[in-house]
Amino acid sequence: MKILNLLSKISFIMAVMFSLSLRLNAQSADEGKELFNANCTACHAIKDKVVGPALKDVSKRREEAWLLKWIKNSQALVKSGDPLAVQVYKENNESVMTAFETLSDNQIKSILAYVKAESEAPAAAPQNAGMSVGTPTNVDSSSNFETGINWLLFIISILLVYIISLVFKILTRIGDIQGKPVINWNQVNSILLMVFLVVGMIAVIWEFAVHGKLTIFEAGSASAHGVEYDSMFMITLVLTGVVFVITQILLFWYGFKYKADGKRKALYYPDNHKIELLWTVIPAIVLTVLVIRGLITWNTMMNHKDEKARKIEIFAYQFGWNVRYAGVDNKLGAHNFREVGVMNALGVDTNDVNSHDDIITNELHLEVNQPIDIAFRAKDVIHSALMPHFRVQMNVVPGLPTKFSFTPTVTTAEMRVKMSKPEFDYVLLCNKICGGAHYRMKMKIVIDSKEDYAKWMSSQKVLVANKVASTAVALNN
Amino acid sequence: MSDHTTHHNHEEHEHHEDNFFSKYVFSMDHKMIARQFLITGIIMGTIGMIMSLIFRLQLAYPDMTFPFLEGILGHWGKDGKLDPNFYLALITIHGTIMVFFVLTAGLSGTFSNLLIPLQVGARDMASPFMNMLSYWFFFLSSVVLLLSLFVDGGPASAGWTVYPPLSALPKAIPGSGTGMTMWLIAMVLFIASALLGGINYIATILNMRTKGMKMTRLPLTIWAFLVTAVLGLLSFPVLLGGSLLLIFDRSFGTSFYLSEIVAEFAGGIERTGGSPILFQHLFWFLGHPEVYIILLPALGITSEVIATNSRKPIFGYRAMIGSILAIGILSFIVWGHHMFITGMNPFLGSVFMLGTLIIAVPSAVKTFNYLATLWKGNLHLTPAMMFAIGLVSFFISGGLTGIYLGNAALDINLHDTYFVVAHFHLVMGSAAIFGMLSGIYHWYPKLFGRMMNETAGHIHFWLTIISAYCVFFPMHFMGLAGVPRRYYANTAYDQFNVFIDMNEFITIAAILGGAAQLIFLANFFISIYKGKRSPQNPWNSNTLEWTAPVEHLHGNWPGDIPHVYRWAYDYSKPGADDDFIPQNVPDAGQVDPMEEPVGLPVSHKVAEEVSVA
Repeated sequence: MKILNLLSKISFIMAVMFSLSLRLNAQSADEGKELFNANCTACHAIKDKVVGPALKDVSKRREEAWLLKWIKNSQALVKSGDPLAVQVYKENNESVMTAFETLSDNQIKSILAYVKAESEAPAAAPQNAGMSVGTPTNVDSSSNFETGINWLLFIISILLVYIISLVFKILTRIGDIQGKPVINWNQVNSILLMVFLVVGMIAVIWEFAVHGKLTIFEAGSASAHGVEYDSMFMITLVLTGVVFVITQILLFWYGFKYKADGKRKALYYPDNHKIELLWTVIPAIVLTVLVIRGLITWNTMMNHKDEKARKIEIFAYQFGWNVRYAGVDNKLGAHNFREVGVMNALGVDTNDVNSHDDIITNELHLEVNQPIDIAFRAKDVIHSALMPHFRVQMNVVPGLPTKFSFTPTVTTAEMRVKMSKPEFDYVLLCNKICGGAHYRMKMKIVIDSKEDYAKWMSSQKVLVANKVASTAVALNN
Repeated sequence: MSDHTTHHNHEEHEHHEDNFFSKYVFSMDHKMIARQFLITGIIMGTIGMIMSLIFRLQLAYPDMTFPFLEGILGHWGKDGKLDPNFYLALITIHGTIMVFFVLTAGLSGTFSNLLIPLQVGARDMASPFMNMLSYWFFFLSSVVLLLSLFVDGGPASAGWTVYPPLSALPKAIPGSGTGMTMWLIAMVLFIASALLGGINYIATILNMRTKGMKMTRLPLTIWAFLVTAVLGLLSFPVLLGGSLLLIFDRSFGTSFYLSEIVAEFAGGIERTGGSPILFQHLFWFLGHPEVYIILLPALGITSEVIATNSRKPIFGYRAMIGSILAIGILSFIVWGHHMFITGMNPFLGSVFMLGTLIIAVPSAVKTFNYLATLWKGNLHLTPAMMFAIGLVSFFISGGLTGIYLGNAALDINLHDTYFVVAHFHLVMGSAAIFGMLSGIYHWYPKLFGRMMNETAGHIHFWLTIISAYCVFFPMHFMGLAGVPRRYYANTAYDQFNVFIDMNEFITIAAILGGAAQLIFLANFFISIYKGKRSPQNPWNSNTLEWTAPVEHLHGNWPGDIPHVYRWAYDYSKPGADDDFIPQNVPDAGQVDPMEEPVGLPVSHKVAEEVSVA
């Protein structure tokens, strides 16, 4: 009995431990998912090669200890002459993997746990969890293209083309015999022109009704200057829309109405200076209006200055973004491109007192209704920071400082309600071709309320914590 | 004046006529060179189109695999999946081929060569030898570009605009290795070709017009070719300079375009002190006039085709010349609208915006004049005419969106999105291609002495215009949602994923459009050998090329060069016998070709009526 008791106890303990470990696993995989999406997706996917290799079953291929070293600083490992590291480096076109020295061992382990869980997930699961892919990712669908039915369709369509060409040939023969063509293409074309006009105009209206809803204008602007932008856009849309409809209708209508019928002669009408003057002057006036309105919009967007604006730096690299906040002093510390490296991803000059309270993150958090001045800096090639919901875009050029100032006006929470999409997030994306993973180079933007922003900010680490503390002490004394 | 010497040349050449190489390969005859440009352009265009279909497949079905890709692309399509780097290579080479090799050399090269001597009344180009060189530089350039597809690292992949540092540093993207070097060599050869051709076109138009061919009697095609050649001559050398500096940066360690780049990333030498934006200025100083280098010949061809097939004079001939000149001049001061958000001074942005929107005025004048030409015409809806009407439609649709993009403020959010893709594919891509096809259908009898099949031409037109609109119109909405161009897939963005259905639709439309071009290719190549023999003037046109015999002669006209007595657009003149009066027909009593025509030519039916008038 004792033994039985013992066994049951042991089994109970094991069961508890097992369930705990399961929960632990689940937890770390969750954390891993977040970390993975924040740090890795720019260059890696689970099942696809992006810039870096596909990560499926990476824990089966490599030792965990090696992976830890590699992820923390791959270049150090390559330089140490580790044969596996050198091989991986060469296999991937000698592109340097970003060093993640800031990640703890546990964080990396949780990322690996997530990768492991994803590797084992059935093929039908979304390839990149967390980016809920809208369409079913059917890996086997390639076979669709090689089934017999498709070949049959292919052959049928070739036959169809052949038959049609035969029909036309026969018709031409008949025409030749009768002395006049069977198909009067002048007639057919003129009718088709009208059909094309009508169907085309309906299609345009349908497009505006259906796909117009998917544009950024549907939810309205999330920034102060965006309102101005949207009204400028609408004015242009109305003016060009009117011209589009009138000229296209005239073009196709004339094509229909004035087709040759063998009875009429064309009107000899080479010139009319009054009319020509009219349709030179009217477009000129309309464009003057647009130019003046556009210049006003452009200059208010570009030259607006605010003393209270918070200073932020956005740093772009292949293939990701960093944000540097100026901290309490609202002064960004100096930087030097030569210092950019594994220890100092942004090359901040820590000898500059202003840099001590700077905060570096990889998410852009902004306080609602608080003006900001963004300075842009790039490490390697030209990138472009597009924030479509705010009507903001600026190129990020290595060696050439650029800037953009604006005021966000709608918090993420408000926008979610407005769009009735609880999972919506603002996004900053790269919009200048910058390399293989250009299409994944994005950063989440969060617009917080004042309280949330303060809370988030206080949870972030300042760059040189001990010096900030000591200056604070010095000031107090 | 040069009549005598060219005639002399022509006699000299006749001795070499029989040699296969001098007739078909190293020909100095402008008509043969036009054919060479055209066929090379069509081959390049087909390659560019196939590339677009491959990357369209990727955009429509980002999660599918296509095993055949591995067959044609090798390791770039491993496991049937297009490599992201090779996707960028495809869009880069597609753009380069279409802009330079098809729509510059294929369009302007073909029709400038064919029409300039024939329409101004010259025996050949001013320098037939330079003309031959122009083709062979273009040919070499095409070969180098195509060979770059096979080098290690793949062809150039930094977009057709090849902005450094991406294009300057092999570490940045694999395509910036040997592939990019070859791209630059191809471009240098291409520019040499464009300049040799351009100088020739200008010299021929200005110096070798036949007696009576005043500048104000030139067909609008010639005016368009003239302004195009001047634009090319002034802007291509700037790109040449820009390319050379890029070659220096890539191969000799200079830093014209590079700043604050560490040694490790830049091939062992720290690069600092240059400016990446400088390259953009140099590139777009060519790049924007380039748009008009592409478009003006297409508009010139359209003017001619619309007037001929409407049986009406082109409305506002002088206004048309004026607008061609205005567009040409303005095109040099608007390049900055490609760079509004590079961080250049906002004041500079204002200036470029002003210039850009002013260009809309001459463009609007041209559109209205086309409409007025159609009005109360007697339209012969031939395939050439249909393509010309299609061009006007695209010119309107694509031109209007230029008013959004030329507005610096609106450009902030639209720059580099699909809205731009839609805009330039309509106004520059589709419109210019339609101009080119219109020209091919119209002057095919002059090029090959035979007619193309009309039915196939009409089917080709309808399928092409439908597919072109289906491909490019929906893209505006993607752009307005902020979808960036040059993205390998939109799967990383929830708000862009909603366009997956649209992307699929666009790809299917593109495949349909591609299939329609097969009809054209078959029609084109079969008709060379089997087409119906063409009469001398199949469209009853006024211009001089139709007074030359159908068979190609070295020297164009068997006897003397015809003299010109009138402008090119006397269609349906009241009182005349026919609805056209060729330029070489004098009015009754008009002896000196330089005199302005006063009334009507001597009627072969009712001579009295003329004297009354």
